[in-house]
Amino acid sequence: MRKVKKFNLSSWWKRINVKYSIGLSLILLVLSTLIYLVIQPAILRPGTLSRLMTSNFRTWLPVILVTIGQAIVLLGGGLDLSNGSIVSVGNVILALTVITPEEPWKNLLIVLAVIAFGAFAGLINGFFTAYLGLQPVIITFATSFVFSGLALLLLPTPGGAIPREYTDVYRNTDLLGLPISLILIAIFVLIWAFIRKRRYGRFLYAVGGSPSSAYTTGVPVTWMKISTYIISGLLASFAAIAYSLLTGSGFSGSGEDMTLASVTGAVLGGVSMSGGAGSVIGSVFGGIILGNIRNIISTLRLDSWWRTLVNALVIVVALAGPGLVNLIRRNK
Amino acid sequence: MKTICLRTEQIKKRFGGVHALRDGSIEIRSGEVLALVGSNGSGKSTLTKIITGVLSADDGKVIYKGQEVQYSNPMAAQRAGIMAVYQELSLVPSLTVAQNIWLANEFIDKYGFVDDHQMNEKTQELLALFEGTYQSSLHPEAYINALPPDERQIVEILKAISRNPDVLILDEATASLDSEQVKRLFSLVQQLREAGKGLVFVSHRMDEIFQIADRAVVLRNGKTVGDAKIAESSENEIVYMMIGSEAEIAKEPIFKNNIDQRDIVLIAENIRNEKLEEVSFTVRQGELVGIGGLRGQGQSTLLHTLFGNNTYEGHISIFGKSLDFKHPKDAMREDVALIPGDRASEGLLLLRSILENLHLPNWKSYGRPLLNIKKARNDAIHISNQLNLVMASLDSPVSSLSGGNAQKVVIGKWLLRNPRLLLLDDPTKGVDVGTKSEFYKLLQQLIDKGTTILFYSTDDQELLGLCPRILVMHDGGIKADLSGDLLTEANLVAASMGATSNANINKEMSHA
Repeated sequence: MRKVKKFNLSSWWKRINVKYSIGLSLILLVLSTLIYLVIQPAILRPGTLSRLMTSNFRTWLPVILVTIGQAIVLLGGGLDLSNGSIVSVGNVILALTVITPEEPWKNLLIVLAVIAFGAFAGLINGFFTAYLGLQPVIITFATSFVFSGLALLLLPTPGGAIPREYTDVYRNTDLLGLPISLILIAIFVLIWAFIRKRRYGRFLYAVGGSPSSAYTTGVPVTWMKISTYIISGLLASFAAIAYSLLTGSGFSGSGEDMTLASVTGAVLGGVSMSGGAGSVIGSVFGGIILGNIRNIISTLRLDSWWRTLVNALVIVVALAGPGLVNLIRRNK
Repeated sequence: MKTICLRTEQIKKRFGGVHALRDGSIEIRSGEVLALVGSNGSGKSTLTKIITGVLSADDGKVIYKGQEVQYSNPMAAQRAGIMAVYQELSLVPSLTVAQNIWLANEFIDKYGFVDDHQMNEKTQELLALFEGTYQSSLHPEAYINALPPDERQIVEILKAISRNPDVLILDEATASLDSEQVKRLFSLVQQLREAGKGLVFVSHRMDEIFQIADRAVVLRNGKTVGDAKIAESSENEIVYMMIGSEAEIAKEPIFKNNIDQRDIVLIAENIRNEKLEEVSFTVRQGELVGIGGLRGQGQSTLLHTLFGNNTYEGHISIFGKSLDFKHPKDAMREDVALIPGDRASEGLLLLRSILENLHLPNWKSYGRPLLNIKKARNDAIHISNQLNLVMASLDSPVSSLSGGNAQKVVIGKWLLRNPRLLLLDDPTKGVDVGTKSEFYKLLQQLIDKGTTILFYSTDDQELLGLCPRILVMHDGGIKADLSGDLLTEANLVAASMGATSNANINKEMSHA
């Protein structure tokens, strides 16, 4: 007899909450998307939906990439406040050096150099926090100034340009009716799903859950932690490439806003600030929720101070939320 | 004679100025259970941690399977076949039972993925070893943080066994298990012994040592002092090895309790909670009562329960009032004070000034609406002189003080309140000799004032030297109430191992 798996909503709901802790972020994702779509003036006209999707996801891709990196660092029990500055450096390098599409090999080398810088920056963060055991908040906050200082040194005033031939590919390519940025996000999520099911994923959750237990059990805790910072640095360099293709120019403060957004996005997506709980797909949801909220505010043409206020509130609620939930549970 | 599987030779280890191990020498033989015995601070844990690579030795040799080895981390030791079941469990609370058991030892399929299915099946097989002794909530996919302590301990044991070690160290593995679970564990140990594994059994329960071990090695003050075949030994013999000579002589403590006529001020009747079992005792006004036993037998919990930090069942009455402290402030209102053992986390605001710390529980008595800082300062000066506090000024932060002086601040802030009942939770831990003697003087002053004191210490010598009466705790209950002629080190150590020494029984008989 074949076992028929019945779909059971309540057990499914429990499962996604226990295993991925994305229940709340899923609700927020659906809600914010609905609100956003409802207030769009031309939503029913054909083509509007796909146009919105393309323009939104290509804008969100850089932030979502650093949010994925942040989620992985948080899962391992760390915190990376320098990922935005790594984006700035990558963006500045690309804007200054990528000039003409006639020499694709030279440009490929530049891109590889940007990726190498991201990995190296992550290695520095990992060395200080995991190997020397210093506080991640302080170390990565400090290195963020080193990196953004470097970006400012390379490009004191906004400038530089990425050739149109490249930016058009990023901005306007569709595959199977989906924008390339969305497909890239899906690829990253799939790669992570692949890694998570391997020994690395198991170790990561163990290290974040209890580093001392993981250590006595024989998990290479230090290397695991260092690797999360390297992954975060790598994703920040990918974000820099996406950002440069999006804007077509260079600005030394380009990644500044991304740092806090990455933490907020990851937490909104159910990733625990204390490590060991959450999921990467959740952090992608978190990134999209943040993007939706921004769009809603700008569609409603609210004053800019509204935008700041709501952004700040979202951050506070997202960060304090888990603590508040615990408090309510304890008092019950 | 069985072959020697692992041998340590004169292992030495220091933590700062403290010698945790001076000469740790043991032989673990294949097919034998070795009991490692010693009182607090004898170096048992340090020695096992060095063998398993958690700590590295300062000096000495570990010889494993005929070769000198030095493991710099637990991973290397595990790969060589040395595993331990730790007292302070090595489980990750946010992972499942199966994930924990196979952590760093996962089944990997041919594509490199973790094979959860196979891991769950193998976990089920392992759990069958304890079948019937746990609730249905314990299954391969249950999360550790949802399990009670005994089931966590079972998972920890299964985790060690799953790695099929050649040397298995069980560090207080039975502490949170019930009798049926202990029985299962022992039959497992029996099997491993028959399979020729080397086993080390660390326990505070003498009866279990006699039940399962073949040999016992005794550590005292970081030195290996004795080795005995269990079959040819007795509980008394082991106790004497643990304490050395002069054990039977009744001690003359510094303080006397001349309190026979005084009122009973503290009555505890059948107190029960997570860590305590049927604790009953009474204390008279002005009495100094020591609380002893091996570390972690419920001593701190008892003091915290009396202070209102823990919930309990049973009855506590203090100063003739039946009390139900829900919060430390209720206890403070009744002039009960608790001086915690962990200064940094429970007793002090390290960055604030000495003055502020001294007055933290006392500001109320310095007037409304504005604080009378001058009076507060004078009182603080008075108390710091009394305590002989070595400091730059009252305004320097507590973090600038040495450990001993910081401890004085913790004591001082409660003394300013003139407590009637003082609960001391291992106050001399990590304190130097000079500070200790000042602390003893302070105790003298308090006793002269008629303060009633419960004094928990992990240092047996200190208790015996100070207290005219000692309650010995074991597994959450009071195993012995020693005073007068019964107050000997032999009785104290025997009771803390859960044994009843002959001397004790004889004396009890002659009293009766």
